[in-house]
Amino acid sequence: MSLAQNAGATRPGESDRPLLRIDDLRMYFPITEGLVFEHHVGDVRAVDGVSFQLRRGETLGLVGESGCGKSTTGRTIVRLYRPTGGRIEFDGTDITTLGGDQLRRMRRRMQMVFQDPYSSLNPRMNVAGIVGEPLDIHKIGTPHERRERVRELLGVVGLNPEFGVRYPHEFSGGQRQRIGVARALAVNPELIVADEPISALDVSIQAQIINLLERLQDRLGLTYLFIAHDLSVVRHISDRTAVMYLGRIVELAASRDLNQMPLHPYTVALLSAIPIPDPAVESRRRRIILRGDVPSPANPPSGCRFHTRCWLRERLGNPERCTVEDPQLRELSAGHAVACHFAEEVDGSPEQRQSTGQGGTQAAAATSWAPAGNAPSAAPAAPGA
Amino acid sequence: MALLEVRDLVVRFRTHDGTIYAVNGITFDVEAGETLGLVGESGCGKSVTNLAIMRLLPKPAGRIERGRVTLDGVDLIALPESEIREMRGRDVAMIFQDPMTSLNPVLTIEEQMVETIVAHRAATRADARKRAVELLGMVGIPHPETRLRSYPHQFSGGMRQRVMIAMALALEPKLLIADEPTTALDVTIQAQVLELLKDLTARLGTAVILITHDLGVVAGMAERINVMYAGFIVETAPTPDLFARPSHPYTVGLLHSIPRVDAAEGGELVPIEGVPPDQRRAPVGCPFAPRCAWRVEACWADNPPLVPLEPVSRLVATGPGATHQIACHNPPLPDEARTGRPTRPGFVAAPPPGAVIDELAVATPDVEATLVEFPTTDAREERR
Repeated sequence: MSLAQNAGATRPGESDRPLLRIDDLRMYFPITEGLVFEHHVGDVRAVDGVSFQLRRGETLGLVGESGCGKSTTGRTIVRLYRPTGGRIEFDGTDITTLGGDQLRRMRRRMQMVFQDPYSSLNPRMNVAGIVGEPLDIHKIGTPHERRERVRELLGVVGLNPEFGVRYPHEFSGGQRQRIGVARALAVNPELIVADEPISALDVSIQAQIINLLERLQDRLGLTYLFIAHDLSVVRHISDRTAVMYLGRIVELAASRDLNQMPLHPYTVALLSAIPIPDPAVESRRRRIILRGDVPSPANPPSGCRFHTRCWLRERLGNPERCTVEDPQLRELSAGHAVACHFAEEVDGSPEQRQSTGQGGTQAAAATSWAPAGNAPSAAPAAPGA
Repeated sequence: MALLEVRDLVVRFRTHDGTIYAVNGITFDVEAGETLGLVGESGCGKSVTNLAIMRLLPKPAGRIERGRVTLDGVDLIALPESEIREMRGRDVAMIFQDPMTSLNPVLTIEEQMVETIVAHRAATRADARKRAVELLGMVGIPHPETRLRSYPHQFSGGMRQRVMIAMALALEPKLLIADEPTTALDVTIQAQVLELLKDLTARLGTAVILITHDLGVVAGMAERINVMYAGFIVETAPTPDLFARPSHPYTVGLLHSIPRVDAAEGGELVPIEGVPPDQRRAPVGCPFAPRCAWRVEACWADNPPLVPLEPVSRLVATGPGATHQIACHNPPLPDEARTGRPTRPGFVAAPPPGAVIDELAVATPDVEATLVEFPTTDAREERR
């Protein structure tokens, strides 16, 4: 596959200004010492220079491992934190330093769905109270209208509208997450930041919530920032995907391109590490095992932050450039940006092809659970690359 | 005789809320050196099964009501407590999901490892220490000599799980039970740990029961898979067979619930509707019936037994040639398994007899029906 074969996910209204524009966003958390007189000894650089844009109606996936800064990015965007630096622009308005009433009015247009449906719902409020609270806060509608709205919202997310009188503990995890989605939808937001909305749920329930989110987006024209650690889920729901590592975006591309043609060594490793529920594909994949753990964001490595674990750097004979020069995101093809000095070396490499088991034929992967008789699993594994 | 034989195991918990029917009569074998995957969602009984094998059920609530568990011919259920303690670690070892809670936080790794080795083997502390260093090196912990003196919190999650693996394999057990060993880990660390586990157990010839909810993990690790639902084994097959021809509606549903990272295009997910059953009720009929798109009338009344998918002359319980078995009255056709939905003309899932369905069960999302009036409600939004 060549680099030229590429297209960003284009949608109508492309020329419109983006709904969300993030520029060089930085969010540092101070590390302090001293019991009485605290002094500042350093920073955890949770988010350290993140830039992207989000078009109206689009879903951008933010993926990475724990501690990469993806959740902090999402929380900073809805201004649960005050950013250390950079700029957040929502629908043309700079909201980076907004406060008080102005911020509250802005937040009506962006809502969050949280990971843990057990801790994100107040156990002492009934469901109608939880779902209706945003309406109260933003003073929308009369009490009667609010009640009607809550019933409607419960129906929309697949819950019985009569359940408003019940309490969160009476519901299962998946049902609670539906309540969380209903609450986010209450004020008719334009942007929804979904922070790991399905990770706490059982597999059979995850698909219910993914499908619900997708259907709601189609109907209501919502824009999603979808944050998750699971690349297969992110790729399924997102038009574009950004991969984060240690507070930075290392690769940003249309989801399809990212999966079929990853260009950052970290993305390749991440893809290759995801187990695929198909023994035939698994047997012909070759995993890239990254050595060691993610370094501390309080003390990120010099140069490229991934250089301490990079398989490509090792293969290229440990070029000095990786340790001294911080790679910037650069667009290698339309809509496909990557922050690696040697991304060209990744393209076409056996690692890239084998990361998703596509070293064999596409067709083999697609028909892997075929009816008995032509079960490809029983056939010898396709030749690797 | 297989290494581990579990026959008609029934485990129940007595709680203030009533009896919980956790494991409802399951039978399976594990051959020496074999890796068996136990797949299912939370509450399906996969962990309880293994706690029962180890005789570690919480007392007094958990009880083995019925069944036989033998390891190398020794009946584990009848064994007195003192002998069971001997058996744990030496013959069967276990690693858990969260390594932080299974290591003692106030003791160094050295103290914990040496203690284990000395307790089971008549070894001197010096010998045990040497062995501990060797084991840490084997699981890929750099500078094992110095790291031995560290406390658990000084290790990262992945490293802690390596320590757990080293401790579990310290006595070279015949069977290792790994209960969601990588669920708490990031995906690149999961890859490291799984690789290590696979490599070491193959080298030592250890049989493994790998418990996980992740079909991707078992696809690459296990030779054979038991799919569990509500305390029953609903499908069992060698791994290639199971994925080539998933035949129980629950297995089919699981496979359609997860997006695959290698799919050419993000295909549609077909979720399993509803919620897992309330196990405080004695199972009546097929436990999956309320959520099943293929259910027929019989499913509501009669729980199907585990039977071979195709007639066989002799049932094979273990190994790569094990018989593919399912517990289903109306299995999906291969074509239906591929699309995830019943497609035979005119088929409608049998409605429940009477109103036995849980009223809290999720209604089908009503998006289409109610959206007509949806965006209009807050037209009176306050403008300032």
